[in-house]
Order: sequence, then C-alpha cells, then structure tokens
Amino acid sequence: MSNPLAVLRVFALVLLVFSLTMLPPALVAYLEQDSAAGAFQIGSAATFFTAVMLLLFTRRHTDELRVRDGFLLVSLVWVLVPVFAAIPFMVFFPAMSFTDAYFEAVSGLTTTGSTVIEGLDVLPYSVNLWRAELVFLGGMGLIVLAVAILPLLGVGGRQLFSAESPGPIKETRLTPRMAQTAKGLWLVYLALAIACTLGYFWAGMSWGDAFIHMFTTLGLGGFSSHDASYAYFNSPRIEAVAIVFMTLAGMNFATHFMALRRRSLSFYWLDPEIRWYVGVMYASVLGIAAYLWLAGTYPDFVTALRFAAFNVVSIATTTGYANTDYAQWPFFAPLWMLFLCSFVTCAGSTGGGIKMMRAIIVFRQVMREIVRTVHPSAVRAVKLSGAPLPNKIIFAVLAFCFAYMVILVSLTLLMVFSGLDVVTGFSAVVASFNNTGPGLGEVGPATTYKSLTDFQTWVCSIAMLLGRLEIFTLLVVFSPTFWRK
Amino acid sequence: MERLLAVIHTFSRIALVFGLAMLLPIGVSWWIGDGAHGAFDEAFLGTLVGGGIVLRATQRFRRELRANDGVLLVVMCWLLLPAIAAVPLMLGIPGLHVADAYFEAVSGLTATGATALSGLDSLPPSINLWRTELHSIGGLGIIVLAVAILPLLGVGGRQLMKAEVPGPVKETGITPRVAETAKGFWVIYLVLIALCTLAYGLFGMSWLDALTHAFSTVALGGFSSHDASLGFFNSPALEAITIAFALISGMSYVTHFAAISGRSLRPYWRDGEVSFYLGVLGASVLLIAAYLWHQNFYTEFATALRHAAFNTVSVATTLGYSSTDYSRWPFFAPLWMLFLCSFVTCSGSTGGGIKMMRAIVLYKQVFREITHAMHPNATTYVKLGGTIVSNKIILAVLGFGFLYMVCTIGFTLVLAASGLDIVTSFSAAVACFNNTGPGLGLVGPDSNYGVFNDFQMWVCSFAMLLGRLEIFTLLVVLTPAFWRK
Repeated sequence: MSNPLAVLRVFALVLLVFSLTMLPPALVAYLEQDSAAGAFQIGSAATFFTAVMLLLFTRRHTDELRVRDGFLLVSLVWVLVPVFAAIPFMVFFPAMSFTDAYFEAVSGLTTTGSTVIEGLDVLPYSVNLWRAELVFLGGMGLIVLAVAILPLLGVGGRQLFSAESPGPIKETRLTPRMAQTAKGLWLVYLALAIACTLGYFWAGMSWGDAFIHMFTTLGLGGFSSHDASYAYFNSPRIEAVAIVFMTLAGMNFATHFMALRRRSLSFYWLDPEIRWYVGVMYASVLGIAAYLWLAGTYPDFVTALRFAAFNVVSIATTTGYANTDYAQWPFFAPLWMLFLCSFVTCAGSTGGGIKMMRAIIVFRQVMREIVRTVHPSAVRAVKLSGAPLPNKIIFAVLAFCFAYMVILVSLTLLMVFSGLDVVTGFSAVVASFNNTGPGLGEVGPATTYKSLTDFQTWVCSIAMLLGRLEIFTLLVVFSPTFWRK
Repeated sequence: MERLLAVIHTFSRIALVFGLAMLLPIGVSWWIGDGAHGAFDEAFLGTLVGGGIVLRATQRFRRELRANDGVLLVVMCWLLLPAIAAVPLMLGIPGLHVADAYFEAVSGLTATGATALSGLDSLPPSINLWRTELHSIGGLGIIVLAVAILPLLGVGGRQLMKAEVPGPVKETGITPRVAETAKGFWVIYLVLIALCTLAYGLFGMSWLDALTHAFSTVALGGFSSHDASLGFFNSPALEAITIAFALISGMSYVTHFAAISGRSLRPYWRDGEVSFYLGVLGASVLLIAAYLWHQNFYTEFATALRHAAFNTVSVATTLGYSSTDYSRWPFFAPLWMLFLCSFVTCSGSTGGGIKMMRAIVLYKQVFREITHAMHPNATTYVKLGGTIVSNKIILAVLGFGFLYMVCTIGFTLVLAASGLDIVTSFSAAVACFNNTGPGLGLVGPDSNYGVFNDFQMWVCSFAMLLGRLEIFTLLVVLTPAFWRK
C-alpha cells in the first residue's frame, strides 16, 4: 500500500468527471420543464462540491499509483460513485429510502438492470435518461475495467483476455496502456451506439426511446422506460434489432476493435470464445422454442421462436429485457436461461457472469483430469487458440469459478435465512450476481425488486458489485494482508 | 474383447460371493417365518446358477487385472450388482417397477437411503434387513470387500481401491499390502456394526431392528424398517447413539486404522479433516437450534437442540434418518443441512459428497489466489495436516469440485425439465448425488421417491452411482481414450 490519500485523489478526479454527467439529464429536464430539474441540479452540485473538497484535501498527494493501488481505486469507484448517483433519485422521489436509491444506482452502474421503481412510463424523461445513462457509463467504465485495468491487476487470470495480452506486469504505472486501450474501445462503443440508435429508430421507436434503449442495450443493462419493457412496443422488428445488438455487445470489445481497425471479419473467427458464445446461445434459443412449443405454451413454433429468441438472448447476455412474463413458462425454461446468464457472455464485454472464456478453460481442464485418470503420467496441456496455458492461469480460473459458486450459494442461503422463498432468493442472487436483472418468483420480469426488505436489497447490491468487480477485486481489498505494510 | 471377458470373469466371482450375502435374510426369514424366503431362495439360486455359468464360460480368459481393467471392474460391479440385489425385492414386493427396484438397490449399495417404498412397517422384516444389508456391503466399498476376502485381485488391488475409495489423497495411510488394509478396514467396520447393534438393542430396539438400523447407521445409508424412520422410536437415547455412530462413521477409516494400530488418539488430531468436520457440524447444530428456537418453531431450546442435533448430523453425514419432518422447518434450516451434506464427511469414510478434505483444499486455494493477486510472484503453498499439497492434486481437486457442481446443476435441470418443481428437483439431485437420501418438497423426509416416474427414477439412480464413484471413475469409462489400445 503506497498511499491511500493518493488513491483518494484519483477517486476525487473520477468524481469530478462524474458530476458533469448529470448535466445532460439536467439540461433535458430544464428544456422539457419537468419536475426533475431540481434533483439533477442538487445532485450535480453536491457531487461537484464533494469532489472539489476531496481534491483540495489531497492536493499534496500526487504520488504515481501502483498496481496494488488499483484494487483500492477500482473498489472505491464502484462502491462510492453509486452513492452520488443515487442523490437525484432521493431528491426526486422523497419517499425513496437510501437503500433503494443506492440499489437503483448500483443496478445501473453495474449494468444489471433490476429496478425498484414502479410506474416508469409516467416518470419524467430526464429521470429515465439518467437511469439509462448510468448503464451507459457503467458499460464504458466496465470496458476499461475489463480490458485494461483488471488484466493489469491480474485478477482471476484475466491477463490473458485482453487483445494485446500484456502478461503479468509487475509494479508498473497504470496509466499509459490503459489510456491507449480505452480510447480505441470507446470508439467501438460509440460506433455501435450510433448504429443501434439508428436501428431502433428505423424499427419504430421514438428518438427518445431509441436513445434510452440504445444505452441499456449496449451496456447489457436492461433498464427500460416502460414497465412492460419490450412488451410495450410489441414489435418483432424492434426485438430483432435488440437481439442483434445484444449479441454484438456480448462479444469481446477488443475483438470488435481489432476487426474494425484491420477491417477484417477474420478476428471473429479467430476469437476462441465467439463461436461457443453464439453456438450455445442460439442452440438454447432453438431448444427452448421447441420446448415451449411442445409444452403447448405457444400454439405455433414461429411465435414460440419469437419469444424464446428475444428473452433467451436478453437473459443469457445478462441484459434483462423481457417481452413477455417468461416466469410463467414451464419452469425448466427460465431455469435454463438463468443458467446461461452465468457463463455465456465473452470476456471483455459488458456482460456478467464467469464468462465463456473461463468456462472453456475449466471444461478443458476437466477433460484433462479425466484423461489423467486413465494415463496418470500423461503430459497434456490445456490449450487456448493453439497456445498452451500455464498452470498458474488455470489455477486462477478454477479458483475464480469456485469462489463464484461459493458466493452464489452463500448469498442464496442469506436470502433464504432472511425469510424469502427459495425461488425468489436464488433467482434474485443469480440475477444480481451475474448482473442480469430480473429474477423469478417475487422478483420476476413482471414485477420489481421493491418487495424486498432493506436487508435483502443490500444483499442484492453487494451481489451486483461483487459480480461486476469479478469477486477478487473486492475480496482483496477486504483481506487483512492487503492493509499490511 | 479379451480384456472385457477377463473382467467379466472376475466380476462373476464377485457376483457369486455377493449372492452368498442373501443367506442372512434367508436365515432370518426362516427363523421368524415372515413368508419372504421364497423370493430370496429364488434370487439366491438364480445368482448362483447364473454366476456359475458365466464363470465357467469365461474360465479361459482368467488373468491378472491391469489398472484400467480395474476401473472397468469397479464400474461393472456398481452397475450390475444392484440389478442382482433388486431381484429379491421384485419377487418379494409384487407390483414393483423395474426402475423402482433398481433404484432401491442402488440406493442401498451406494449407502444413500432414498427409498421408493412406502409401508415399510408392514414389509417382511427380512426384506428390510436385506435393504440395509446392502448398505453395509456397499458402505465401505464392494471392491474393498472383494480385496479383503478374495485373493484374486493381486497387484491390481491398489489401483482398484483408488478407483473406489473416496477422497483426493488416496495413497495416504493405505499400507503397501492392500489386502491387509482392506481387512483392517473391514474389521473396524464390523466391530462398529456390532457395537451399534448392541447399543440399539440395549436401549430399546428389538434385536432385529437393532441389526437392521446398525447396518444402516454405520454405512451412513439411511434405510429404516419404519416409515417414520427414527421418529418411530421417539427416544432421545437411541437418537444420541445414532449421532455418536454417525459421527464416528463420517471420519476416515484410514485414521481409525492408524489410531487402532497405534493405540493412540493422536491420529485424529493430526488428521487435517476431523477438527473441521466436528467444528462445522457442531456450529451448524447450534446455529440451526438457535434459529428454530428464535423462529418459535420449538418453544423450548432443549427440544430445538434435540431435533436440530439429530437431523442435522443425520443429513450432514449423509446418513439420512429423520426424527421429525424437518422439511416443515423454516426453509433456511433444511437448505443449510443439504448444503452441509455436500462436503462435510471426511475422505475415506462411508459418507458422500465432495468430502471435507477437498473443501479445505478448495478454500485454501482461494486464499492463495487472493495472495497471488497482490503478490504475483510470491511462492505459496496449500498445506494440509502439516504437509504441502502438490499442485497436481490441487488441480485434480479443483477439477473435481467444478465437475461436481456442474453435475448437481445438470441433474437439477434434467429433473426440472421432466416436470418437477424446483425445490423437489434440486433437493432430489443433491440428496441422491451426495448419497444422503431424503430431499425436500415431494421427496421430503415424510414421503418417498415412489412419486417419481420411471425416467426420474433412472436419473436419480445414475446420480447416486455417479456420486458414490466420485464422478471420474464412471466418466472415464465413457471416454474414447479409455477404450483405445
């Protein structure tokens, strides 16, 4: 630990930038003359003021940050920025508790998309814009986090996953590579954003809706400006656009970046994850469509396919839109969808879960162990894109998956302990931890998280943060060894 | 092909010896005249004749078995002996489905204790004795038994025991003379059964019931001769005896062996698992008792403690008796008990699940990764009972742990897809896969697996076998690499 105050200074800078992000909704509120203008002004001013105070307080601590400080910085940003993001909610909804406001903000910034707000359709446009913007910001922050920062920190064997594969970098400076990578990735994000907005508008959304839903589609968030989510539009064309962009957003942004820069589609083919990602997801779409059709939920296969395609892709990519209450489907279907959301998306995307890359590594490791049982002395490497993986990374990946499952089980037990039924408790934890959004039971797609108690809401907030920060980033900061000299 | 025939030859010898085990229920049936001896006589003769024919037919393929043949033999024993064991059940209980009879036999031999039968109290006592005798035969391992009493397995015996004895570090403590060790294990096992019978008999069970339940207790099986299980007796003394013997049986036989041959209690202390095993169990009993008391399920703490102690120890050690219908408890309690049964018992015991030793290794590996995240070049070790665990074993344990979770999820999804509700399908998967017995929902402690259809019965039978053989042994046989020259 070099200097916590230096970390605080960088955090203050992040906060300063963040205070500016409340200006677009403030401007919209001002132009539309809606009731939320004050909320955004207060929120922005409070955030700005805090940031300036912190900067003044830490102005002398300009030490260069070290890799280890990265853990603290990342954790601080993701735990505390939602506090400020919650201010406009608290001002605008006087009855809303801090617990709920923080939940809503965390849900946005972690691109989860579960909400505690009912009556979205009658909210001022600026409030819905702010919710969607949080997802957008979270998504952008995430891309940097996932592709530039976490590899540097070496969390969970992540060093592998970035396009340029920096490898284990010791005590080096954080900034240069990060800035460079981030710029390229945000360019991709922006290009997709423009295409997606145009796509939604072409398919029949209003500009305002197109904008909001573009934000939450690319961030794989899932907030909508309508209580009914996509069922409000009831348009196969809009759903098709959403499916395309959700699928794209679930891929590694570094791959998009390389493909765009070299103007070649071959990168998608070379990417070891994408074929599994697309294969597993679309095979599941067909499987569930067939299952629903055979179970008689939908009278014809085409309707079954339409609903299966939209909802399965939406949940599996951890977006969380719904165009029907899929919790009413025969139980196997939503269970399978929750199962998918825990591993399908690619590393370096805005999706949650353990990521397809880790799933592939773990699968190959298990196959290796099976072969080893027959031939105890056989030497076989786990390969990825033709290159053998060092044991160190396999260890990290396996330990990550194990920690993932343990946390899933523990949080579920905690929810059940607090009095929820098992379907609600389990699905709420899975949906929050994987940053998906809607669960089943009391927190199904047709309802919100409002019915949870404060304690349960906090568990969900923690689950979202743990999932987003890939567990170890947060765990490390809370381990005693981290604070030892 | 010759290889297969050689294995079949050895198997037929084991089957013949297995047939002799039916002499016990035959004798009991004659003695008390319960009318079931006809079923056993026919099954006994059938086994002898069938086994004899196969033995003669494959006589010329007799040879020493190699390591891979051993795996095949183990799998063959565990798949086919239940079929033989099911014959007297089919003959003695008219109207029993093939799937149910096989399930019952698998549940017996794998020491699971999940039953497909209702009206146990009115069954001929010899049939109940046969059910729990199956527990006692399978509890410590069919092959361990075969190695101990048949001089035919030669050098391959060590490999064979590795394929069947549960736990990651299978070499430890097993003396080079495998047959000696196997005999030692069986002597301890039989002494425990004798002591348990004596204790049950002295404290109020009829001697036949005492023997029936002693078989079941020491093998950590869970079959009873009463529908109400141990609740039938409603006796705190009998419950205390059960707890004591379940706790002893859940420890490693390697440790018992070392303690008895060295005449010292120190091996228990030095064994890295026992302290965790007892600690986790003790803490859970207190937690659940306090929870039940706090939730006002029981008005007195003493009553809560009595039921919590018995049912928690019973389920956690994968025994599966119940003294009350604990599925009516607030849901957290039974969920926690199912969670415990997946890892609490020690490796080398008669219990199921991933075993405490693996859980400790997994847990320590996660902390090792946290240290690695901060100090990427640190050289760290995972230690167990003072010795360093090699990376190879850690990888195997991590692979196993992961495969275990995938199997649990997989069985749950299959059962849910077949139309069961989530609580029933999840708990049935967990209870069968961990060889525990009773689940929750439709298959709770007050009901039985008879409500399942044939497909679901086969899934559960497979889950029990997969769990008992610790996945790999069964999976290996299904890989092409195994069958290659």
